[in-house]
Amino acid sequence: MIRWLIRRLWLGLVTVFCVYTLTFLMVIAVPGNPFQQGQHRVAAETEMALRARYHMDDNWLYYWEFLRGAARLDFGPTFMYADWTCNQIIGSALPVSVLIGILAMLTAVMIGVPLGVWAAQHKNTWIDISCLALVLVGISLPTFVTGTSLIVLFCVSWKLLPIGGWGGVSHLVLPVITLALPFTAYIARLTRSGMFDVLSQDFVRTAFAKGLAPRRVVWHHALKPALLPVVGYLGPATAQALTGSFVVEKVFGVPGIGQHFVNAALNRDAGLMLGAVLVFSTLLVLFNMLADAAYTLIDPRIRQAL
Amino acid sequence: MPDRVSQLGGRGREPRRNRAVAASVTFLALLTALSAAALPFASDWHDVQSLDRAVRHPPSFQPVVSPEVFDRAERRPGEARSEERAPHGLKNIAFHLTSLLGHDDLGRSLMFRLLPAYLISAGIGLAAAGIAMVVGVLWGMTAGLIGGRTDLIMMRVVDVLYGLPYILMVILLRVGLTPPLSTLFHGNSPIANVVVLFVAIGSVSWLTMARVVRGQVLSLKESGFVESARVSGASTWRILRRHVLPNLVATSLTYALLVVPQAILQESFLSYLGIGIQQPTPSLGRLAADGVEAVNTFVGFWWLLVFPCGLLVITLLALNIVGDALREWFDPKSRAATLL
Amino acid sequence: MIRYFLITCTAVWLVAVLAFTCRPSEPPADLRYVNPSGIHTLDPARMSWTQDFRVALNIWEGLTTWDPNTLAPLPAASDQPPQVSADGSIYSFALRRNGRWSNGDPVTAVDFARGWRRAIEPGTAADYAFLITDHIRGAAEYVARRHQAVTALTALKRLADGWDLTPQRACDLTTSSLLLLLQTMGVHCPAANGDDEGSCRSVQECLTAAEVDWRALHERALRDHAASLDSMFAGVGIEVRGDWELVIHLTQPCPYLPDLLALPVFLPLHESIERLRVREGDVPLSPEGLVIYDPQWTKPDYHRADYPGLTTNGPYRLDSWVFKQRARMVVNAYHRGAGEISCRAVDMLVMENVSAALMAYEAGDVDFLPAMDVPYDHEIARLAQSGRRLDFHLCQVSATYFLNFNCVSDTVRGRINPFRDARVRKAFARSIDKRAIVEQVLRRGDRVAESFVPADVMPGYDPPNGLSSDAAEARRLLADAGYSDGSVTPTVDFLYLPADERVAQALARRWRETLGVRVELRSMESKTFAEDIADHRFMIARGNWYADYNDPTTYLNCLTTGNGNNDSGYANPEFDRLLMEANAAANPSTRMALLAKAERMIVQDDVPIWPLLHYALPVAIKPHVQGLHPNARLWFPFRHVTVRR
Repeated sequence: MIRWLIRRLWLGLVTVFCVYTLTFLMVIAVPGNPFQQGQHRVAAETEMALRARYHMDDNWLYYWEFLRGAARLDFGPTFMYADWTCNQIIGSALPVSVLIGILAMLTAVMIGVPLGVWAAQHKNTWIDISCLALVLVGISLPTFVTGTSLIVLFCVSWKLLPIGGWGGVSHLVLPVITLALPFTAYIARLTRSGMFDVLSQDFVRTAFAKGLAPRRVVWHHALKPALLPVVGYLGPATAQALTGSFVVEKVFGVPGIGQHFVNAALNRDAGLMLGAVLVFSTLLVLFNMLADAAYTLIDPRIRQAL
Repeated sequence: MPDRVSQLGGRGREPRRNRAVAASVTFLALLTALSAAALPFASDWHDVQSLDRAVRHPPSFQPVVSPEVFDRAERRPGEARSEERAPHGLKNIAFHLTSLLGHDDLGRSLMFRLLPAYLISAGIGLAAAGIAMVVGVLWGMTAGLIGGRTDLIMMRVVDVLYGLPYILMVILLRVGLTPPLSTLFHGNSPIANVVVLFVAIGSVSWLTMARVVRGQVLSLKESGFVESARVSGASTWRILRRHVLPNLVATSLTYALLVVPQAILQESFLSYLGIGIQQPTPSLGRLAADGVEAVNTFVGFWWLLVFPCGLLVITLLALNIVGDALREWFDPKSRAATLL
Repeated sequence: MIRYFLITCTAVWLVAVLAFTCRPSEPPADLRYVNPSGIHTLDPARMSWTQDFRVALNIWEGLTTWDPNTLAPLPAASDQPPQVSADGSIYSFALRRNGRWSNGDPVTAVDFARGWRRAIEPGTAADYAFLITDHIRGAAEYVARRHQAVTALTALKRLADGWDLTPQRACDLTTSSLLLLLQTMGVHCPAANGDDEGSCRSVQECLTAAEVDWRALHERALRDHAASLDSMFAGVGIEVRGDWELVIHLTQPCPYLPDLLALPVFLPLHESIERLRVREGDVPLSPEGLVIYDPQWTKPDYHRADYPGLTTNGPYRLDSWVFKQRARMVVNAYHRGAGEISCRAVDMLVMENVSAALMAYEAGDVDFLPAMDVPYDHEIARLAQSGRRLDFHLCQVSATYFLNFNCVSDTVRGRINPFRDARVRKAFARSIDKRAIVEQVLRRGDRVAESFVPADVMPGYDPPNGLSSDAAEARRLLADAGYSDGSVTPTVDFLYLPADERVAQALARRWRETLGVRVELRSMESKTFAEDIADHRFMIARGNWYADYNDPTTYLNCLTTGNGNNDSGYANPEFDRLLMEANAAANPSTRMALLAKAERMIVQDDVPIWPLLHYALPVAIKPHVQGLHPNARLWFPFRHVTVRR
């Protein structure tokens, strides 16, 4: 187990490093002057001095200096918002995105799993069909469409929730629901198909024949192996939730990290881009690792092999 | 209890599902045909039509633009307007349908933007699926067959690419590739735009395929299929062609088909964020995003929102239904953790 | 097991939500307004966005300010209008004795000198530093000497770090002060001419042979330069006489100086900023010789090195600033008028989606919208103009939207550029129907621009009318220039930003119909657009200019030869001469006449740019908010606001 962990950590480090390098290459390849943020031109001498100051006059140097700073968790200055450091910007925006992403995933699991189990138990009835229909609609609706519809319904027509901003539970409700919807659909469907397979297996029939309470059979014995694909899906799904929250952030005006990704690239702000990429990909790698660990732990076959 | 158990594993709702699949396929085929037929009338969608009457006009059964504007007669500078030439034939039909879905804020007919938009989005989806299939199958097959260290390295590359925050890659690719691609396509930046999106979306959609194919190849190897072929003296290439590939085709086709709606969805997200398809090129995502952004409490341009979003959702639904059905047909035991 | 999993999930969920919501809430502010893009920077020297001005000019107070109704300059931190010398080149300001910083310290003349000095320092990279260097005597020379020193010190720093001595670096080093310093260290090398490769190379050889200790040299040079800074600045025409008098020596008379001094670049700075100065050891300069400060000095809650947080001298002070979410301004208790200010707290909310901001306004969560940049702006304008919404106002802003013609390149992206010929420019200009664009395409309530400088805005200035719109004449001009329709029709390249799509399409259609010219529309995002503009990779491009101050020169200076904002590349010595003559003119009416004559060259004779319209920007003010008046500068001081709920 420990060996597996170390191997994954090592792989994760390599991944983050590769991501950083790729982003860096793209950053220096793309034309555009990060020092000119206003409409007036910066003097040549000033630009040269600023480049020297921020180690940006030599690409190699900048590459290593940035990494060194990143190891100290110092991502340097940003040129778009000169009064703030990358640390502050990422530090204020990343938790927001992570919060929405994690809450959406948790909601998806808490609603999707029971829904899938319920549908599987009542196969071919209207419950099952409507669940399937809901699932299909859920994965076919883009989040900005659902988000905007929810805004129009809850904020404008019924005036139940505030429209934009950030700071209370009322600001969390709609973004989390919007982001959770497609994942709920996927998880419900995964659970349902998993349950189908498990419920038709011999050991379940035996359990039923032995006279065990049906609820116990379903929820205790059958669900564990049925959940395997769901857990396997959670890793990449959380990654998707984190990136998917960019759209949700834009719809609801939530101050997450998505806008900074886009704006930093469009404004050629190297520091913020590289910092955001480093932090974000580290998070992704970590979540993938956690999900894989969970999958490995749950599946006894793989656990045995370890 | 036993009744329920015996029901499980039965054929179940086949008739209903077949009806849904048939409906979806018909819908998609009709839509594609319609869009292809509408192309000539939309070919210069960046060429704005009338500016006064048609701007932001709600849907109407009567065409709002004048026939000669629709006919796009090339007037010589300084010439007086020629007499209204009535368009004939297919053009006539198209002319009468011009204002059916309303007009946007530049006076362009939504009908003749939405239909080509569908083609462009479908094109992006298919291109992404194509890249996914070609690159993914080759990659996974090579890794699975060769095995050993090569396999390890190749799969690590896939893992690394999985870790990329792909939206950032799309942004950087778009910002970086569009100028050189524009010069390549002789200043035609819509094509450059679309190509960049092909590349960007395609570059992340082959990963899952590679993993799945590799898994399949590994299980094929284990099943002794490949070994017996080798024992009987077949060359690697022949093994590949005769024994491995046919088994992969079904699976890869199914997953490739599932890539299409995902790619269209991704494109709509990117367009909404402002880094996908740019004006004036239409795509389902672009038009849906524009419609969403125009939502306000003052003046309702409902047709700009309802029709694009509706078409987008219905298209995705149809593609998902078909892809789903195919998946269940080809590979009923699949652990749909690869639903990504 | 599943049960535990589900319980854990729910628990995590609840904890996350509760942790998120458990934070103390502030009492609501009196006035809440929306700033869609957030504050870019609160550094008064560096800011260039109107939204930032809005905050800065409420929390700081300059020598002058603008009247909220008439926009005429009024004394603010100064006691009374300035005393002007006979020739108009010396202004003497007497400061109020009761001006106070937000920590109670008195506002003195040296605070202004500190702020202005920082604004022209190279390290600040201030957008509006040119206002100081153009007008104040000695400032441009000071900046030039500082640039020289910074270049040399940067090169020295690189050498001290172990980088190679390239010929370019060797040339950068040869400022006179460094040569003297080298001589004291026993190294005698000739000065180099920066443009001559050969002389640079010989200096490089000389220095390499001398085997200089770069680190020691860098340290000494830095120290010497730091010591000479004050004496260098003494040559600049900002004279501090005691605590309460500030005398400004100008390069030439500037009748609009009081209007200029209200801009943020002329704001004072509290002395506590010196605690955050970047130092190299005990030398108050960065290793590159830059005078820079920790950029977080603008935060109200930043306390590194005993910094008390942002200290300002205006009617308000910055209470809190949460990045991209909100900022709160509360009344500065030490301000002389603090007691009479009715609006005690102002909240600036950041909402990127302007439609959402508008919805919040309709719902009553927001009181004031100073910007409504939405896709349905025509509808807003219609509601405002028809009187159906009395809370929507259209501000006729002093800004011009125009077309830039490329007057300087021979070929653009492989095609011949026809716009070097003035007749072609006039042809394209005269074929445009501006009224149609304003009234049919945009429908935002903008005003048609007949001249570059807006009419009825600058007191005493009557701008000339440009050429009229005449399609037949346009065709004739084009034929004159050799492009008769049918034979050689040029393909013309039009560069613009995505927001200009409607106008671009309308113009393209117009040119095609009137002149038979094919127009290639190139919409670029802003950074690529800026690059293409800077490299003159366009034939026609969109342009706009917001007036910095209330004088025609703010517009006309953009078209002087070599000006950084001269996108068209227009270079006319006669035009430059007229402007210089106008600036030297003592009589105001002569001056205005000369400026009008110069503008006539722009809009009638040469047409390097073609003005289309002057912006009308909508603002929304709730009826219960009084004291905010729509005006041409979007200037909204909050101290005069009363909110009646």
